[in-house]
Amino acid sequence: MLEPVMFTGGVYKHDMVVELVEDLGGYVLQKNVSQSEVILLILLPSEDMPALKALVSELRGELVRAPLAGTEIAVVTPTLAIHHLPHSACDIAEYLRRNGAKTNMIGLARGVGREIAQINEYEAGLVNEHDAAVFIFGNFADCIKKKESLYRSISVPVIVTGGPEIQACNLPYAFEYVPTVGRVAHRAKKATELGSLDKIIDAVGRALDKARTDIAKDPLTTSPPRVMDAVREQVPEVEYSFAPLPIALDLNGVRVKLPYEEYADRVEAVKFDEGVNLGEVATVKPSKMKDYILVRILPASETGFTF
Amino acid sequence: MEPMEVFKVEIPGEPFGEKKYRELIMDILQDLGLIRSLGRLYVYMDIKRPAFAVYGLIRSGIPPLKVRDLGDVAKAEGGYQIKVNNEEHMADLLKALWAAYGRERAEQPMRDTVVIASDKDPSDMVVTDLEAKFRQDLTDALIRVAPEGFRNRRNEMTDNSFFFIAAEESLTLELVSEMREQIRRMENA
Repeated sequence: MLEPVMFTGGVYKHDMVVELVEDLGGYVLQKNVSQSEVILLILLPSEDMPALKALVSELRGELVRAPLAGTEIAVVTPTLAIHHLPHSACDIAEYLRRNGAKTNMIGLARGVGREIAQINEYEAGLVNEHDAAVFIFGNFADCIKKKESLYRSISVPVIVTGGPEIQACNLPYAFEYVPTVGRVAHRAKKATELGSLDKIIDAVGRALDKARTDIAKDPLTTSPPRVMDAVREQVPEVEYSFAPLPIALDLNGVRVKLPYEEYADRVEAVKFDEGVNLGEVATVKPSKMKDYILVRILPASETGFTF
Repeated sequence: MEPMEVFKVEIPGEPFGEKKYRELIMDILQDLGLIRSLGRLYVYMDIKRPAFAVYGLIRSGIPPLKVRDLGDVAKAEGGYQIKVNNEEHMADLLKALWAAYGRERAEQPMRDTVVIASDKDPSDMVVTDLEAKFRQDLTDALIRVAPEGFRNRRNEMTDNSFFFIAAEESLTLELVSEMREQIRRMENA
């Protein structure tokens, strides 16, 4: 089983970590270099973890478990106005990123108000391309209950955050509700506020575990990191994409950040050692996010094999 | 001076929201540096309607900022020299001096020094109207404080008070008078 971890250390000799991960059959999902520090998001077979730990301690680096690595989470606010940003929304997104997730912040066009709040088909489709969504609401119980219409059409697990305590039975469409967040006009810095952020991470972790269990019932033909590796190797132009993460991993596929019109055929033609093309084991379609390519790996029940 | 003599927030049926809104308003007023300029503040929200009203008393009487308030004005050769102590309003000062004397007669040879080539004493010249700035900031604060979907707004400002109301639906006379009545009740309570 692949274990998600995050390496933080100096740029000097970090190539040794990358090489070791590749030699052990793991994957480097993301590499962020900031001045003299580098952060690597890694998936590694759990039985090989001691070898990596030994190397990391030799390099004086830090290795922590990143439970959300390899997932994309949507952080949805009613708008991108000053009422919701930057405080609670940025805090939550930042906290999710620290735990390894790739977050996308989505501000709805008409999500404000109690009576007038709405989500359109495009926005719902965009949220549905993620593995889970965190909806950030305010301080009024009545509004939070009323705003259920915003996420009723979302098919991925939705974690709702807000201020007051609300019984789960009052929010039947939410996967979980995390209270004591709400609308604030300052950054989260008190212990209680940070505790609430931890609760969101736990809730997202539970939502993803459920999604993983659902996928395990009918396993994917191949794993998303393997697709990522193959695409990276056979469509090298992806490395020149301006996106900070040129290939984003989801639980059931990848998002390739290249124009669909130009590169969809080449992505479909990506060949695996087993002799199959990506187009045979996955659907390659335009993403709702910009003009990117969305790859969804088909389950074994559709292709009849796994590799 | 005390920050605020009276600060009441009332949101029927939402005890948590009431407490949080109090903190939120304090944060926003502090961010914009308005807290000491308000004497009393009453906030009422009816979440079922939904409508939001704020009534406040302003500690007015902020005099216009003059050149002499910003630094020392001294007679110098061929004109006047201003040694600025408070750099916060430097841009406003230069703007006012350029408008009055012309760009070629008002120069800033050093960071905290402005020299004017004129015999006219600039000491009593108005640099900026702080009262007008305060009212702009106050309006900004009220828009930030109001819940985001409440796009229909009305703000009545007098010399020493303001009444702000915001709602999701159109503002009707009945709604305005009802909210005004609620605020009056809070005032008399």
